Amino acid sequence: MIYSKDVTSLPDLAHQIVSPRFDVVTQPVDVLSLQNLIIYAIENGIPIVPRGNGTSGWGGAIPTRGGLCISLSAMSGILYFNEFESAVTVETGITWRDLLAFLERLGFTLPVYPSSATAATVGGFVASGGLGIGSTRNGDILKQVIGIEAILPNGKIVRLGRLLLDSKTDPLREKVEEGNSWLSEKLSDAGLGSPEQETKLFTGTYGTLGIITKVTLKTIPNLQLIPFSCSFDRMTDLVRAADRILSEVKPYYMRFLADNYTSKLRALSEYENESGKYILTGALLDTIYQNEDNIEIIKTVTNEEKGYVLDDKRSWFYWSERLYPLRIKRHGPSLVPAEMLAPMNMLPEILEKTKAELRNSKVAIEGTLSNDGTTSFMVWILDDERKKVSFTIGWYRSFQIASLAERFGGLPYAVGLWNGRHARKFYGNDSYKNLKVMKKKLDPSNIMNPLKVFGGRVTIGRESMLLGFLLGFIVTMIGGWLLPGLLNLDWLNQFLSLSLVQFLYFPNLWLLGLAGGLIAVMIIRFMRLSQALAIGIPILRILSKLLRR
Amino acid sequence: MTKLDFIERYGQENEPYICASCGNCTLVCPVYSELKWESYGPRGKLHVVKSIIEGEGEFGKDFAHKIFLCNLCEHCTSVCTTGISLDRFWEVARAEVRERGLLPAPAQFVLKSVKERGDIMWMGSADRLLWMEGIDELVKDRILKKAKVAYFLGCNVSLKSQLHDVAQSMVKIMDYAGIDFTLLGEKEVCCGAPLSWAGNLKDINEMAEKNLSLIRELGVETVVFSCPSCIQTWSEYSKSVKEDKSIELLTASQFINRLIREKRLHFEEQPMITTTFHDPCISARVLKATEEPREIMDEIPGVYHVEMNPSRQNTRCCGAHGLLDVVDPVLSSRIAERRLRDVTVTPATRIVTECPRCILAFDLAKFTTGYEMLVQDITQLVEGALSPKEQGGGKDH
Ligand SMILES: Cc1cc2nc3c(=O)[nH]c(=O)nc-3n(C[C@H](O)[C@H](O)[C@H](O)COP(=O)(O)OP(=O)(O)OC[C@H]3O[C@@H](n4cnc5c(N)ncnc54)[C@H](O)[C@@H]3O)c2cc1C
Ligand code: SF4
Ligand code: SF4
Repeated sequence: MIYSKDVTSLPDLAHQIVSPRFDVVTQPVDVLSLQNLIIYAIENGIPIVPRGNGTSGWGGAIPTRGGLCISLSAMSGILYFNEFESAVTVETGITWRDLLAFLERLGFTLPVYPSSATAATVGGFVASGGLGIGSTRNGDILKQVIGIEAILPNGKIVRLGRLLLDSKTDPLREKVEEGNSWLSEKLSDAGLGSPEQETKLFTGTYGTLGIITKVTLKTIPNLQLIPFSCSFDRMTDLVRAADRILSEVKPYYMRFLADNYTSKLRALSEYENESGKYILTGALLDTIYQNEDNIEIIKTVTNEEKGYVLDDKRSWFYWSERLYPLRIKRHGPSLVPAEMLAPMNMLPEILEKTKAELRNSKVAIEGTLSNDGTTSFMVWILDDERKKVSFTIGWYRSFQIASLAERFGGLPYAVGLWNGRHARKFYGNDSYKNLKVMKKKLDPSNIMNPLKVFGGRVTIGRESMLLGFLLGFIVTMIGGWLLPGLLNLDWLNQFLSLSLVQFLYFPNLWLLGLAGGLIAVMIIRFMRLSQALAIGIPILRILSKLLRR
Repeated sequence: MTKLDFIERYGQENEPYICASCGNCTLVCPVYSELKWESYGPRGKLHVVKSIIEGEGEFGKDFAHKIFLCNLCEHCTSVCTTGISLDRFWEVARAEVRERGLLPAPAQFVLKSVKERGDIMWMGSADRLLWMEGIDELVKDRILKKAKVAYFLGCNVSLKSQLHDVAQSMVKIMDYAGIDFTLLGEKEVCCGAPLSWAGNLKDINEMAEKNLSLIRELGVETVVFSCPSCIQTWSEYSKSVKEDKSIELLTASQFINRLIREKRLHFEEQPMITTTFHDPCISARVLKATEEPREIMDEIPGVYHVEMNPSRQNTRCCGAHGLLDVVDPVLSSRIAERRLRDVTVTPATRIVTECPRCILAFDLAKFTTGYEMLVQDITQLVEGALSPKEQGGGKDH
């Protein structure tokens, strides 16, 4: 039960389409025991879900059909570091915090790590992709991956990209050679490149194509870190300043906190200049001389854009807060995240629109700026899951934000389970097609993290089945009763007036209803996740509107 | 829905819902570090409480036992993203366990002993004088004497012969510095901390008050402790301490550091001692007293202090706090061994701390691991380094 959750609070209704818990939780300690587990799962048709530390919120790590949870946290070694190659190789269950601590002792750091670094695993973030601390200069995490080792859903061990290891102590060499030659064949069948060129099969695909066991990541020198922070009265001013800082300074990291976020941070209650304001904060990571010049530029830009530069103490405060974006959850107490990847220049408009759409909800908004003109736009919807009805009905809001993103030329921030409907747009048409082809080749029995990214048939709960049956039954009964009169067809009227039909009118109507109910149940049984959501979300939305009235 | 009376009575019913599942707490938890399953870590336990409230789980014997597999080390509290006072929550959960009659036997014993004997190990008031053997001259006129400073030993230091040297060292330091101090002697009773660990939150104030009323009668302004948990308990649970701020509660190192700054203590050169300081959880994370012991060691010539990783507020628990040493001694010992491994990667030959439970835990772990190192309380290190009295000594307080 404990391993079956991520950070999103789900309404009970969600368990009508995904199973509430895994059957078994396992913690393999090395690649070979993990390989054995996968082979066992294939032989017995058991679904497998890889799990880092469950800090994501898009359902990627939760069970959909019960099965086996494979927690990777016991595989957490640091295997290789070479400062001349600026690279480090780790087992994927290691937390970003531990990896950072190791590198910092040697005078290095990571170009990108997530703000969940204290608990998230390297594997979890690499498998999800996304922006993190450092992305403002270095882009998303996927650009920092040099090589990957993974176990495929058929148990083969493969290495993609350039996985750096001490070759003298590599017990898996033979198995990898075999796995890679098999994979090369499949890749060339699909018209794709060599394993060396195709790391993206496993990065950002949520563990649907295999379990990542080792990763080689880029490292950078840990130069002088200087945090900065400024406050603004208006989002438009903040965005203008951010735009100029991005192009003139190229900071290591830059994040914005909207007014509805800062007003909920308890630690800001005494700071008039910050609580309820728009905060732009981040850090420079450069030589002392560059930093000195750049800080001056930031000050000038902020003043020119009607902002207010905060002092060092406050900047360090925001720097340490970068690892705690969920501080505001106490205002819920439950959280429904809704996130998008938006063009930076559209931020003020998107913000206004989001506020308007969610005007009846408690929300807090923040985001990270990337180096390619996009921004993650995190909408934390605060609610109370103990109010079962309103919480369930309000669940549609998270999907509503994904649709809003599209209207403004943005994308959902992540796919995981719940945004599978947007996967094609998210990855791009061609890449998605390739991923789908490879999914079929690598995982023909669909045991690896089923339903995630690619969707599929859902196992509908008993309550929904019953409801579907009743609906089908009632609708066909009413149809059978009213339709002949409405159609007014001669032959139908003649048929219905036969004495035998008249005599068995009600039993027939019952039989018709029963057939209708059964058809409804069949339709539901074969329903796919995207269809279930496409039906469910509008219903919730309508209910929400009615309830509000 | 299941009603959890204690969780509600102490206003904790929202906390399982406030948890963001971020996992910060679990990754620092010493119990999780050993047992490696979520259900033993704080995030997992909080989820279980939530599912019990939701009527999906049961508050059974197994879960009750897991609630006691915890050091109440405050590490989870100190890193919680959403500001949940997790240790408070675990104490209240223990009260819930007690209410349901599911207390582990060692916790029941502690409650009975504190109630009937006034200490945690079924001894008695007369035994609280045994530590004075050999220093009669220094203490004979001190017991229940009116004075501005009181030395509160706590059960472990008073009653465990292994720790008597800690108390003796403190008395010698006070005497050296010319402090006019008092001792409660056989009138000292347990501070009340073990009650909160064993799920009796109601009687802590009364236990604290038995000591505090005496302390007040003696005109004391500063109480010095050998055990940081006593300070935490009085600060959190004693109504009078909360209302009347005139009594100052100090850890041994806070007090000794003050004596050094007042030039009341003088040291002689030590023969190259490399020490490392183990921050006791409560001193570091609750009392924030991390710098004083380091400043003291810096003052003693010939003592070279190296840092362990982790240290200060990120310190790793010794494994003995929160009754874990009696509820699951093997697990407790494994946690202590892990901390000693932190020492072995430093050049230190001596681990210094300021909590009696840490000393006991490390002494045991030294035995089970075979590591050769000296475990000392900061008072023992200081007392051993004092220069002969004629050269030092301060004036009367
Ligand atoms: C406080 C907080 C801050 C956050 N900050 C950020 C941020 O800055 N940027 C961001 O993008 N996200 C962020 N997130 C979301 C989340 O933390 C990240 O996506 C994170 O990297 C997930 O890591 P995890 O180890 O918890 O993985 P999980 O949540 O356990 O898993 C995530 C996905 O990866 C898969 N997976 C896990 N391990 C493996 C593996 N070894 N091989 C294959 N698949 C695997 C899982 O099946 C799942 O689909 C944040 C979350 C929190 C709670
Ligand atoms: S108090 Fe310490 S031992 Fe107990 S749950 Fe928290 S971190 Fe773990
Ligand atoms: S640190 Fe706090 S919010 Fe995070 S999982 Fe632990 S209890 Fe929950």
